[in-house]
Amino acid sequence: MASAAGSTAAVPFWRAAGMTYISYSNICASLVRSCLKEPHKTEALNREKVHFAVSKWADGKAEKPTLRSDTPGE
Amino acid sequence: MAMAALRREGRRFAPLMSHNPINAVRSSLISEELAPQGARSISTQVVRNRMKSVKNIQKITKAMKMVAASKLRAIQTRAENSRGLWQPFSALLGDTPSVDVKKNVIVTVSSDKGLCGGINSTSVKISRALHKLNAGPEKEAKYVVVGEKAKAQLIRDSRKDIELSITELQKNPLNYTQVAVLADDILKNVEYDALRIVFNKFHSVVQYYPTIATVLSPEVVEREAESGGKLGELDSYEIEGGETKAEVLQNLTEFQFGCVLYNAILENATSEQGARMSAMDSSSRNAGDMLDRLTLTYNRTRQASITTELIEIISGASALEG
Repeated sequence: MASAAGSTAAVPFWRAAGMTYISYSNICASLVRSCLKEPHKTEALNREKVHFAVSKWADGKAEKPTLRSDTPGE
Repeated sequence: MAMAALRREGRRFAPLMSHNPINAVRSSLISEELAPQGARSISTQVVRNRMKSVKNIQKITKAMKMVAASKLRAIQTRAENSRGLWQPFSALLGDTPSVDVKKNVIVTVSSDKGLCGGINSTSVKISRALHKLNAGPEKEAKYVVVGEKAKAQLIRDSRKDIELSITELQKNPLNYTQVAVLADDILKNVEYDALRIVFNKFHSVVQYYPTIATVLSPEVVEREAESGGKLGELDSYEIEGGETKAEVLQNLTEFQFGCVLYNAILENATSEQGARMSAMDSSSRNAGDMLDRLTLTYNRTRQASITTELIEIISGASALEG
């Protein structure tokens, strides 16, 4: 077990890989959703659709928006 | 308004007799407006056209109201159910809008579509007030704008302070995965000590409350925990699983942000539908009032033209006899 002494504690593998807790739990959730049987599976996969356009701003100017339109399952 | 219309039509004859060229132009303009080319008597065409377009507008706004009502019903239950997601977090970590931090990020939630009354303006007004409150010598405040309408308003005077802008969020029905990906993007791209989410909390169809929800970063939570209060009681909780308190705090604050943002977006969408319903309702009522007034004008104009024709016929006939 890693010691709980400050910053020398071993972070979980997903935090070390750069994921936030939110993305980690999302991946777990999509794994659970893909374990379902039909017809619940298609209903659940409908709840996973992602679509939005995000654009970073630098100095008062918007850069080209990146479309985050994932198919379900991130 | 009816009298003014009659006066305008009566004036049509007078300038035709003057020799002033300006008046002649004006008279032709007036007669163009009141009657189509070549009409011999007072025409009700213009009023009839206006009545037809107002009636169409009334139908359209009534239909939009029905659509908004049905959408409202669907999304209201989801918003109320999502309230249970962040309530444990508020119980655990508290919601302290008065916290004083260096890096504030104001997340303004608004709609993409218009015709929804004043909700977007109130959100932007509150965001601006927050920004003023939190911009000082050492502090700074940046915007993350969700939705087209707030972006359009904030561009006007706060261009430099916008970090991210997100649009097209409501293309698919709102779900947690979408908001989670969005929250992930925000967390990865923006440095923050405190996130202040500005949205409109849904209360009833005609009533919504502009709300600010504050989510702190783990470091600030640690700092506030030392000064006591709700956060100071965090140490009395047992942590399972061999993780450190810092790790747990980090996971908790990230998840808190995701849940609070999900609820905020749902509540704002519900308030948007409610505001649209009442806006379209008042719009169709106004159109109905306008239609009543136009009908009165129309009838008066029609009766006046009939009377004029009768007078002409009778005077012509009596001239022949006499």
